[in-house]
Amino acid sequence: MASVLAIIHGLVAVALLGAITHQTLATWSPAGAKPGWFFACFRAVKSDSFANAVVVLYLLAAALGAIVYLDFKVDIAPDLERDGHWLALGLFDLKEDFAAIGHGLLPGYWAVWHGPRSEASDFTRLALTSFFAFIVWWSFLVGHVLVNIMGFAG
Amino acid sequence: MTPGPASRRFAFAYGAAFAILYVLARARGLALFTVYPSLGIILPGMHRSRDVADPAIEFLAPEMWWYGWTATAALGALAVGFLAASLPERAWQRLRPESLWLLPLIAMAVCVHLAMPWLRR
Repeated sequence: MASVLAIIHGLVAVALLGAITHQTLATWSPAGAKPGWFFACFRAVKSDSFANAVVVLYLLAAALGAIVYLDFKVDIAPDLERDGHWLALGLFDLKEDFAAIGHGLLPGYWAVWHGPRSEASDFTRLALTSFFAFIVWWSFLVGHVLVNIMGFAG
Repeated sequence: MTPGPASRRFAFAYGAAFAILYVLARARGLALFTVYPSLGIILPGMHRSRDVADPAIEFLAPEMWWYGWTATAALGALAVGFLAASLPERAWQRLRPESLWLLPLIAMAVCVHLAMPWLRR
């Protein structure tokens, strides 16, 4: 059961990664970009429509991660400790922390994408979206390393 | 759907307060509850297996505080969020809400500092 949940968790994370990366690139690409330029294509999409998807996918990925974490702690973490994978465990600790802080930011992220636009809100939007992109990429990469660590570095 | 001013105040205050309270909970051991996944039990407050069992057999009942830290931060942030939502807009603007995202950034840096013993081991 834990393996099935871990795979679903990974698939949801891939969808979240796609949505937040797309939105981040759209937010960063300059308004006056040359039409046809690769990054200008991102601006053609309504980025605010991604915000709902990002919130739902983040909550789903976090909920699944929180369930799978119980099995990780009992079945996998002791082996990693025994084999001295302290760096990987430390990075995973940070994944937990960043994911929790990201959860706290969800209401603000949603509000800034659905609220009235101004110069200040545009900057906050850029900052929060980049922030989320970092958290999601970090969580994805560290999770991926942890899943493969016995074959990857073991 | 566009959030009203009170909802926006709640959202920004919740995020900033959550980040601060999470780091405080993590650094000071303020977990609302402790989960023992191998035993299937949840105890209120923060508990350590090594306080009641020999460290050599601690691995039999690993404790988890992350859920408790998150719950502590979420409860506190809810209170701060509701307080912010009840503030007059002028008072709220004095807090420079557009800069509140900096607090989670600082909180993340503190988390990196707290994880250093693991990373350097």
